[in-house]
Amino acid sequence: MTEKNFIIAGFGGQGVLLAGEVLANAFMLAEKHVTWYPSYGAEMRGGTVNCEVVMSDDDVSEVNKADADFIVALNQASFDKFVSKIKTGGWIIVNSTLAKESKPRNDINYLFAPITKLAENVGNVKMTNILALGLLAKASNLVSLSSLEQALDNVIPPHRKNLLPLNIKALKIGYEYDLLATQV
Amino acid sequence: MTTQCLTNKKVLTKGNYAIAQAAILAGCQCYFGYPITPQSEIGEFMSGKMQELKRAYVSAESELAAINMTIGAVSTGVKAMTSSSSCAVSLMQEGLSYATADQLPVVLVSVMRGGPGLGNIYPSQGDYFQATKGGGNGDYNLIVLAPSTVQECVDLTYKAFYLAQKYRNPTVLLADGLLGQMMEPVEFYDYPYPEIDTSSWALTGAKNREARIIRSYAPLADDQCVFLKKLFEKYRIIEENEVEWEEINTCDADIVLVSFGSTSRNVKTAMKMLREKGIKAGFFRPITLYPFPSKRLKELSKNVKKFVTVEVNMGQMVNDVRLAVNGACPVELVNKGVGAPPSAAEIVSRIEELI
Repeated sequence: MTEKNFIIAGFGGQGVLLAGEVLANAFMLAEKHVTWYPSYGAEMRGGTVNCEVVMSDDDVSEVNKADADFIVALNQASFDKFVSKIKTGGWIIVNSTLAKESKPRNDINYLFAPITKLAENVGNVKMTNILALGLLAKASNLVSLSSLEQALDNVIPPHRKNLLPLNIKALKIGYEYDLLATQV
Repeated sequence: MTTQCLTNKKVLTKGNYAIAQAAILAGCQCYFGYPITPQSEIGEFMSGKMQELKRAYVSAESELAAINMTIGAVSTGVKAMTSSSSCAVSLMQEGLSYATADQLPVVLVSVMRGGPGLGNIYPSQGDYFQATKGGGNGDYNLIVLAPSTVQECVDLTYKAFYLAQKYRNPTVLLADGLLGQMMEPVEFYDYPYPEIDTSSWALTGAKNREARIIRSYAPLADDQCVFLKKLFEKYRIIEENEVEWEEINTCDADIVLVSFGSTSRNVKTAMKMLREKGIKAGFFRPITLYPFPSKRLKELSKNVKKFVTVEVNMGQMVNDVRLAVNGACPVELVNKGVGAPPSAAEIVSRIEELI
């Protein structure tokens, strides 16, 4: 049985929960078992927020796992909090616009990309979360671009459908970002 | 937060929204509630959808009001519900006792959080006693259903409305913060149960018939004895017919792990991990907490060497398992006070300590 889990983390307002929901939808569309679970609690504005997505070929074994296969850290606080939770051989995808490019462990894969800046170039800083999903899709090779595009269409409500093309553009820019150049 | 899947009938949705949507599909005509984390999405969803469907949504001034409004609504024969969490369900206990005595099909969704007192908003199973033993006065039982997945939140919400009306007894859907907040793919479908005829007792106006009174007051001692006998005859029928549980790998098991609700997800995984280590473990999950699957546990106790209940509370269901087993074999507890359930790996290591 293949089971992989993902943590997406950042500031409140960066669209972390929504990115997780899009990812979970994409797995559902690919006929996987999937569970999405948010951090919830006495959270503060500007504090960190995260969600976990567990994807499995069988029943999801558990949520709130102690470690993760893939982590997306959209700010420094998330990098600091989660870098120790990545499984050996796992990936951390880091928004280098808001986090330093440091490598405290040598048993994991790092992908540093200026995600916020790339989103600004797309034309809307709010695309940070979806651009990060593009990077995650490429690095993980576990979810297809077409599933994610369909998932975006699922998740974006009718009165916001005008933003769908921009989201898809951000997704593709993330997906096409040159991973090898960042591996040095 | 509820999104459609176009390739099949599945949608990705939160447990709370799944419950609310299922209630609407079950034909719930009236919702009364007061917000409290971690179940506020139920009221939020209802506040929009019920008005759209021209059904009744009332944001009650308190939980006392909400349960009594629900009593009022169901006494007219319609399906109605309220939802709340832990410390606020405490405020509804008087109403639940009255609804039981009045034989009214109240549906209560109880999404557990940390306690006692105000506690906290994290997941918990600390209200097993509150739901199954009750905090109201007198001899009564609530029918209690415990989902473990978002899909079961849908299935058992339907069932809660059906059983409440079938037996004219308050019914509780006992979920927790983990289930309420998580999203999973679910399939909604038409209400699968027959509609119950309420015309013989519902208060629908006395035009062309004798007036009816629904009340729990029996001033004469003998009358109350007769009533209690009748009430408990009903409970005997419920216990006979409505017990539901899931069991896996119990036929050759030396040790059976017993768990309900969201915790049982990790426990099922732990059972598989124990099997991989060569330990003959089985898994048993009560789906109805009342009626409790005591008979089946008693049967299993003839061949099982040990039961272990796994709960996120200080040990509540363990008592019902002990009563069922009645000393035939040891019943141990692996627990955590509050929060997300212990991980499958932790459950495995704590069970290995017990062997």
